[in-house]
Order: sequence, then structure tokens, then C-alpha cells
Amino acid sequence: MEAYKAKSIDEVIRLLSQFEGKGKVIAGGTDLIIDIRNKKVKPEALIDISSIDELKTIEDLGSFIRIGAAATFTDLVESSLLDENLYGLKKAAREVGSPQIRNRGTIGGNIANGSPAADSVPPLLCLDSTLILRSIKGEREISLRDYYEKGFKIGEDEIISAIQFKKPEGRQILSFAKLGLRKALAISRLSIATLLEIGGDNRIKTIRIASGSLGRHPLREYKVEEFLIGKDFNEEVINEAVLVLKEAMEERLKGRATLPYKQRAVERVFKDAIYGGLERLKVVEA
Amino acid sequence: MKKISLNVNGKDHILEVEEDMRLIDLLREKLGLTGVKEGCSEGECGACTVIMDGEVVNSCLVMAFQAEGSSILTIEGLGDEENIHPIQQAFIDVGAVQCGYCTPGMILAAKALLDKNPNPTEEEIREAISGNLCRCTGYNKIVQAIDRAKEVLR
Ligand SMILES: Cc1cc2nc3c(=O)[nH]c(=O)nc-3n(C[C@H](O)[C@H](O)[C@H](O)COP(=O)(O)OP(=O)(O)OC[C@H]3O[C@@H](n4cnc5c(N)ncnc54)[C@H](O)[C@@H]3O)c2cc1C
Ligand code: FES
Ligand code: FES
Repeated sequence: MEAYKAKSIDEVIRLLSQFEGKGKVIAGGTDLIIDIRNKKVKPEALIDISSIDELKTIEDLGSFIRIGAAATFTDLVESSLLDENLYGLKKAAREVGSPQIRNRGTIGGNIANGSPAADSVPPLLCLDSTLILRSIKGEREISLRDYYEKGFKIGEDEIISAIQFKKPEGRQILSFAKLGLRKALAISRLSIATLLEIGGDNRIKTIRIASGSLGRHPLREYKVEEFLIGKDFNEEVINEAVLVLKEAMEERLKGRATLPYKQRAVERVFKDAIYGGLERLKVVEA
Repeated sequence: MKKISLNVNGKDHILEVEEDMRLIDLLREKLGLTGVKEGCSEGECGACTVIMDGEVVNSCLVMAFQAEGSSILTIEGLGDEENIHPIQQAFIDVGAVQCGYCTPGMILAAKALLDKNPNPTEEEIREAISGNLCRCTGYNKIVQAIDRAKEVLR
């Protein structure tokens, strides 16, 4: 195996092309080093991107925010751009693993590794994020939703260079809640992110919901969104939404041993996300 | 083999490392720093914790070549019998060391915390050592030791 500590994006994509699919990007290494040691992957070359500054910046582009793929969870926790309405993304980062893992693990690695439990993904799905990919052929963008729903692939010669999304508007608040440790049995892991806005008439004006560990990959819960949009916001409606969510889970996870437990647990996680977000909104608006 | 330069415990080194070598192997085998302990080898236990450019990392989850150009602090660089660091002294005084396997990692996690936040709450102390497992002490003594060290260091 060869090893390169790259200094620029250009160097990374040149090396990836040179190794024709047999080179692998390493960022924090918190997933990959374990996979290499277990011989799950056997790259011919490792290309380190963890100290490329242009991949680590978190930028305010006016109505958009762009997060470099090699930004660590600690970078997200420490970024003032992710306070206020974007609190759910910061919360997801803050609850990852341990300080040691947050200091190394990156948002790009979290997405590229493809775990159904990747904590940064549900909030990013609620934000309708776009992945910006780079290869020697140039730059292209794919929506994170298509990446999962349409099975779009990141090419072997491509890296994720950044993740970009539109800032929440007005009283929209992004929230996140999760249950269970990563190493806990898969049965007891689940996460929910929500983007909620309640209008002056108390009707639900914006609602996006995404889940982690409730399917083969993180996903948007469209049926629950459709049920909630335009409804009067009250406890009863939220309870009904939980039933819609349970039904959607039933369809997706039918026959799985984990279903009954997850159906029971999902209620609290969902409510934690919704009500936790509204609590946060009070702080933001105070 | 690959040549890398890095600073460990205040000393500059230029070393030849294998491409598949991890930082923990470099520290233990090439530099004889056996205060860096290997427990789980997969990021769960924190026994291999070192401070890299001011932040705690698991040295079992960093490749040696990734550490090129960085500054590493291990327990050996913090203090020894002659020059004991106040955090080490507090661990001894409070009785926070039993088998000692977790101790170097715990003390470095405490050091990284106190460098950034000289007056942490108990909750912040517990959060800072949440990536470090201890099978012996039940953690309370460790939290007390860090709390005492913060008073001494202030
Ligand atoms: C003890 C422990 C606890 C953990 N806890 C959590 C948790 O609570 N929540 C959670 O979500 N995850 C958790 N993880 C998993 C892991 O830390 C995250 O998935 C992390 O975000 C991975 O990022 P990385 O930079 O370390 O990726 P790496 O290990 O460097 O890479 C992972 C994969 O992504 C690819 N890759 C990395 N960056 C890019 C890029 N820019 N473009 C293209 N491909 C890329 C690599 O080639 C590799 O295939 C935990 C891991 C450990 C060991
Ligand atoms: S040996 Fe590195 S975390 Fe356990
Ligand atoms: S003192 Fe034995 S593991 Fe902590």
C-alpha cells in the first residue's frame, strides 16, 4: 500500500485518477482504519485529506452555507454559523461518539461511509442538501436525496468536496434527537431530524422529517410530512403523526425482528425532535 | 516506507514509517512510548489517547503518515517522577488510579479539557472523559481528581 498526505484538492483527484479506483481517500480514519484492519477494504493507496484547508472551511455564502467535506464534528460544534435555526445539525455533531471521535471524524466521511446510522445525514436531508463532487473531469452536484433515493454513486475517482444547503428561513427550526449508542445492538439505534415552522395561524407551514436507522439508509419520511403539512399544530396531531410514522415503518421493515421495539421507541425520539426544536426556537427568538 | 517529520513531547523527529502503520505503533514501537496503551484498537476505550495539535485523538485511529507535521503529546511528555504534573499528582492524591491502564488516556483527556476550559463543571468533566473507559474506579474518583487538579492549576 502507498500513502499520500495530500495538500490540495487537485492533488487528491489527480492521485485518485492515477490509481484507477484502487486508491482510497482517508479523512478522519474513524471508519476506514477499522475496515482496513478487518481486511474489509484493501486499497492500493491511501490519500489523506485531513489537513487540506480548502476542504475544512465552513462558509457563509449569503443564503447558503457550505461545509467542507473534511470539516470535523468538532469543527461543526464550534462553528457560530450553525447556531440558531441550524441547531439540529450542531446537536447531531455534538452527540457523536466521544471527544476523540468528534475531533477526527468528518462530515464527508460520515456520508461516504454509508451507514444507516450516520448522524449528520438526517439533518442534512431535512435541509435538502447538495453534495459537491470533484474529479479530474470537473465538478458536479447531486442532491443528497437523490444520492439515497435514486442510488446515485460517488465515483471511484471522485471526492465529496463540500456539502451545501440553503439556510432555514423565518421561524423554521432544525432539530435532532437520537437513541442508542453506535455500538449498541442495531435494534436500539434510531434518530430523527425535523425542520418545522408553525405559522401565525398555528398551522404547520413547513415540515421536513428524516430518519436514521429506520431503513437501509437515512431517509425522508414523506408520508408523515404530507400528513402534517397545513394542519393545526397540537398534541393530538403530533400523536396522529406518530401513528403515520409507525405505519410507514411497518411497510418498510415488515418481518424484521427490530420492528416492534423501534415502533415503540420512535414515538419518544420523534417528539423529542419536534418539541426540542420548539424549545430551542424560544431561545433563538429570546 | 515513507519518511515523515513530527514533533513528539517537544522533540522533533524524522522517521521512516510503514504505510500501514498507525500512530499508536509509531509511538510505542519506534519511540518506545509505552504509556500509550492499546485496548480495543477500534476507538471505543480511549486507552490510546494522545493530544495531537491540541486535541485528543485515539492513536489507534490515526495512520502514522497522517501525523506528518503535527505535534503530539503523550503522558511521558506531560511529566514523570521527578517532574510530576499537577493532574498526575491529583490522580495519585485522590486515589483515581487502580490498575492504571486507563490512566494515561484519562489524564491527557483532562489536560486537553483544562487547557481549553480551566474551570469546567462536573458535567463538562464527565463529557471530556466520555471517550475513556475505566473498568476499575467507577469514574467518581477520576472526576474528583480532575476537579482537584483544576483548583491547583488555576
Ligand atoms: C467509537 C466510535 C464511535 C462512533 N460514533 C458515531 C456516532 O455517534 N455517530 C455517527 O454518525 N458515526 C459514529 N462513528 C462513525 C464515524 O466516526 C463517522 O462515520 C465519521 O463521520 C467518519 O468520518 P471519517 O472522516 O473518520 O471517515 P474515514 O474513516 O476517513 O472514511 C470513511 C469512508 O468515507 C470515505 N471518505 C471520507 N471522506 C471522503 C470524501 N471527502 N469524499 C469521498 N469519500 C470520502 C473513505 O474513503 C472511506 O470509505 C463512530 C466511530 C467510532 C470508531
Ligand atoms: S485502543 Fe484506541 S480507543 Fe481503544
Ligand atoms: S484504573 Fe483500571 S481501567 Fe481505570
